[in-house]
Formats: sequence, C-alpha cells, structure tokens
Amino acid sequence: MAASCVSCCAALSCRLFLGGRVNLARRQVLWKAAAAELQTVFGSQILRLRHTTVVTTKKNVASLRCETYTVDFIKKQIEEFNLGKRHLANMMGEDPETFTQEDIDRAIAYLFPSGLFEKRARPIMKHPEQIFPKQKATQWGEDGRPFHFLFYTGKQSYYSLMHDAYGKLLNLEKHKNELQAKGLFSEEAKTKDLIGSRWLIKEELEEMLVEKLSDQDYAQFIRLLERLLTLQCGAAEKEFLQSFRRSVTIQSKKQLIEPVQYDEQGMAFSTSEGKRKSAKAEAVVYEHGSGRIKVNGIDYLLYFPVTQDRSSLGAYRFTSKVMLTSMKTAEPKVREQLMFPFHFLDRLGKHDVTCTVSGGGRSAQAGAIRLAMARALCSFVTEEEVEWMRQAGLLTVDPRIRERKKPGQEGARRKFTWKKR
Amino acid sequence: MAAPVMKTVRGWSDLALGVRSAVLRLPGLSQVRWSRYSPEYRDPQIDKEYYRKPLAEQTEEQKFELELRKTQLIKAAPATKTGSVFEDPLISKFTNMMMKGGNKVLARSLMTKTLEAVKRKQFEKYHAASPEERAAIERNPYTIFHQALKNCEPVIGLVPILKGGHFYQVPVPLSDRRRRFMAMKWMITECREKKPRRMLMPEKLSQELLEAFHNQGPVIRRKHDMHKMAEANRALAHYRWW
Repeated sequence: MAASCVSCCAALSCRLFLGGRVNLARRQVLWKAAAAELQTVFGSQILRLRHTTVVTTKKNVASLRCETYTVDFIKKQIEEFNLGKRHLANMMGEDPETFTQEDIDRAIAYLFPSGLFEKRARPIMKHPEQIFPKQKATQWGEDGRPFHFLFYTGKQSYYSLMHDAYGKLLNLEKHKNELQAKGLFSEEAKTKDLIGSRWLIKEELEEMLVEKLSDQDYAQFIRLLERLLTLQCGAAEKEFLQSFRRSVTIQSKKQLIEPVQYDEQGMAFSTSEGKRKSAKAEAVVYEHGSGRIKVNGIDYLLYFPVTQDRSSLGAYRFTSKVMLTSMKTAEPKVREQLMFPFHFLDRLGKHDVTCTVSGGGRSAQAGAIRLAMARALCSFVTEEEVEWMRQAGLLTVDPRIRERKKPGQEGARRKFTWKKR
Repeated sequence: MAAPVMKTVRGWSDLALGVRSAVLRLPGLSQVRWSRYSPEYRDPQIDKEYYRKPLAEQTEEQKFELELRKTQLIKAAPATKTGSVFEDPLISKFTNMMMKGGNKVLARSLMTKTLEAVKRKQFEKYHAASPEERAAIERNPYTIFHQALKNCEPVIGLVPILKGGHFYQVPVPLSDRRRRFMAMKWMITECREKKPRRMLMPEKLSQELLEAFHNQGPVIRRKHDMHKMAEANRALAHYRWW
C-alpha cells in the first residue's frame, strides 16, 4: 500500500501516527507507538520503511514517565508535518495553501483505507500539538533550584492562578471600599451573558494548566471566579474572567425547519418524517384544512380505534362522539398523541394531514406520526413557537428501545427463580 | 444571583448526541438503572399555559429559567403526557398501578368505567335526594377520586428494622409520595382480593371509592389499623436513626 502511494507521486515524507489522542498519552498507560517513516533517498526514489517502536515493559515505568519531548523535537515535528501536508495536497491534486485538516483526514482515509472498528486505531495525520501531550519544560535550573516560587506545592500553575485571582479580588474589594469611603460608589446593573456561556469544565482547566487537578480544586477555583463576578470589575478583570468562559450552543437554532412546498392546486403543504422504536412515518401537513387526518389512506378514527392514540380534535364534542360510536374500544390514549402538537399550538381544526406509517406497533406508530406532524408544523409556525414545541418535547426523537434480554436472566430485568440449592 | 455552574455536552465524546452507547459512565461501575438519554437531557414542560404567559407577568426566576432552557437538550414527551385537559397525573398513576402485563388499554377502560360508575351512582343519589341534601352531594368523579385517596393516606408508617437479631416494626414518618402509593396500593389490593366472584372491577372500585370518600370502608379501616400499630409500637421509635 505504501509503495502504490509513493509510486504515484514524487518524494513524500509524511508522518503517520497510529496512536491515541492527547488524553491517552497523559494517562500513565503503557503506550505502544509504532511510527512508520517513509523516507526517500534523494535521486533514487527508493523506499525505506523504518519502524521505531517505543516498547515499555513493566520494569521501565520510570523511564516512560521521564519521556519528555524537547522543544526542538516538537518544532521539527511541526515542520515535517507542514511539509508532509503540502506533499499530500500535491498528491491529491489540491492547492497546498488551502489544504485544511478535514482535507487531510479525507486524503489519509482514502490513501490508507483501514477496516479497523476502533476509530482511534486507524491511521491519522494530525498536527503534532494534538498528538504529543503538552508537557512542561524543565521547572528548575542547572543548580537544581526551581524557577517558580510555588514549585514545591506540586501544582504550581493552579496555585499561582488562584493566587492571581485572589489578588485581583482583594484589589477590587479595596477599590470598592475606597469608593464607598469617598461616597462615589454606585451599584451598576450587572448585565452579563450568563446563559450563553458557561464556566470551563475541569478537563478544560486541566488542559489549560497542563496539570492534574482534583474536583475540590476545581470547585474552589469556580467559587473564586463566581465571587469575582459579583464585584464590579474593570476591563482587565473582565477579560480575565472571559478567558475562563466557554460559549454554550443555543439548542433552538439547531432545529431544521422544512421548507414550505406548493402542490398543483396552489395549496401550501410541508412534509417531514418521524420515527419511534421501529415505526417510520411520513406526514404531509396542509396549511389550510378542516382537521382531517388520514393515516395510510384510512381515517385516523378507524386506523386507531383506541382513543389514546388519537386525540380529540374538538375537545368536548369529539370525546362524546367517540363514547357513543365505539363504546367497545373507547379509551383515549393513542389518539391523544396525534392531537398533542395541534392542541399545543391551538391549531386544532386548521390543518389537514395525510400520513403514511409502517412498522412498529400501535403506540409506536402514533408516536412516529406525532413527531412527523410536529416537524412539519414547524414550517407554518413562528420561531418562538418552534422553541416552545422543542421545550415541550415534541421535536425530540424518542431514543428508547426495547431493552435486550441478558444471558443468565430470564428477561431484560427479570432474573431466574432463586433456588437455595 | 450567581450564574450556576453548567455542565455541557463533553466536546470530545464522539457518541451520537443524546443517545448513550455501551460506554460505561464510570469505569469499574456497571449501571443498573440507566436511561437511553444522556444525563444532560432535561424533562419537557408540557403545560402550554407556561409558554403563553406574557413576559410582563413572569418573575425574574421564570425569565431566567426560560432563557436557560434554550440551551438545554430536552427529552421527548412520553406517550401518556399529552397536555390534554382530560389528563390527570393521579389517575394516570392509578391506571398504571392497575395495569397487568402491559395491558394499558384494559386498565384505562376500567378506569373510565369506574369513573362513569361513580358518576352514575352519585347522580342517582342526587335525583333521589331532597333539595336541601342536594347541595352536599358531590358529583364530580375526579374530586371524589382525589378525596377518597387522600382519606386513605396513612400519616405514619411502619418499617422493619433489624436490631439484636430481631425485626421490630418501627413507626416512621412517610413522605408524600410513599403515602400516595400506599393509599393506591391498598385500594387496588382490596378490590382485587375481596371482590365477589361475578362482580366486575369498575363496580367494586367505584363502591370502595365512594366509601373511602365518606371515610368508611375497609381501606380506611386498614389505615386506622396501621395508625394503631404505630401507636402501639411508639416505644420503638428511637430505633430510627434518620
């Protein structure tokens, strides 16, 4: 495979790492890295495969821990990576200037197809920053004396960060006291973007400090930041705080709204799909109608004789009709599910629906249709109402499925009868 | 009000959003009760009045709550919650407890027939009564149901505690949820066991509900028995350590 890839182009040197991500390396797990280097001898185009393996045995754990990547080594890796990236771009016939990481991934997946199930075991070519774990440079000088005054705490970055933050807090309080003494203190209205962002989580903080933290350390740090938030900050402090906040996605924006289509008579309608367990449904909701719902060509009253699947179109009148016409199977359960989206938006008799459904059982089909109808309704409704529907749980696919039976048990949960002997 | 520390979807998990795969949450610990939703999913708010409230009427907390929910992932609404005017959480719970073998259709039909029977009986009494008594007769089956179950709830319960090799029945305060459960459980077991052979469940259940509504009947008696036992074992109360 390597020969073919090289034969189709000029000299190439690329590093392929079969290895884990940053997290793997950080944990003290015996890490086997086999780096295959393809090197070409200039002028002769001969391939030479060289494997360098770092094999660690149990006796050599100490040496594994001391495995440091020097700054020069990392720089060299980065240069080689960039060079390899350009060669790869040339090989794929793309512009080397605009070759992004996604393009690299695609190219590698194409050139080195792997049948391995574990995605992390497949060949990857990433920037050395992502492959080699971030390590601290040597913390002490030639005389053995550490550089940082908090070195002997064991977590120098964390404690120095806490120290800085607390210093800022004290300064702000002093400033506030001074202003209050002069009578110039005024309460500002705090308008912070509390919702759109969140504090960084423990893993992110660990990554930032390149140090291991405990949960209590992290909690303490967040408490300190919260205290800083409550005080009035200057621009510098605000920037300091912002560096620890990450933005949170607004879920409503992720909702896909179906475009409205128009059929031959000029009636506006919209289609969408829904599923629940193994039932799949497709619903076509017409904008103007009288509240008729047809399922697989049959009126929904007849398709779902059990009222729970349906739901009354016109609340009182309908249920009374159901009680009279089908006394035997008049339980409002499945029918109510169908009506839920319309009832929620107060559009009970205003839309016509035609849907097809297959698979699943009675209740699953009803749930699938409900989802399909809710999604289709999104196109006729304001964004705010779409968000309301999402918060009411109408637009989420229900991921619950039948739990599998386990060996050694009679069912999913039920165990065999316990016998004393 | 300080911003709460929010946990978010972990960026580096490549699991499908919202659905748990076979990966264990905590290494070394197997899940006994798990759900197909990731832990960051929140329960849906079905009540449509909550959303229709104009902005001016909402308090600070509610506004904050609304804003917060925009960033949260929400679970799908279950099939039993439809926001319909007819649904009642207590009735749904009772129906589920009455259900056998997953036959919700049957349980639901029994429930509706019970309520219908209660209503019919009350209407008969109403028509047979004189105008002065009519005001005192309650005809709404839902209020009768709620009141009956409330009357059946025990105030204090007994818990077997092992001490010195013997199990002692120690009186213990019960939570709201436990009380409601016990009332419903007693009602159902009473109707199932003491029912005459040819009588149907709705009839028996409606009978029991009406008796409980008037603070009579076997379920109320059972509640009083429980209270008497608790009173008798008063001396053991100090065995409770919580």
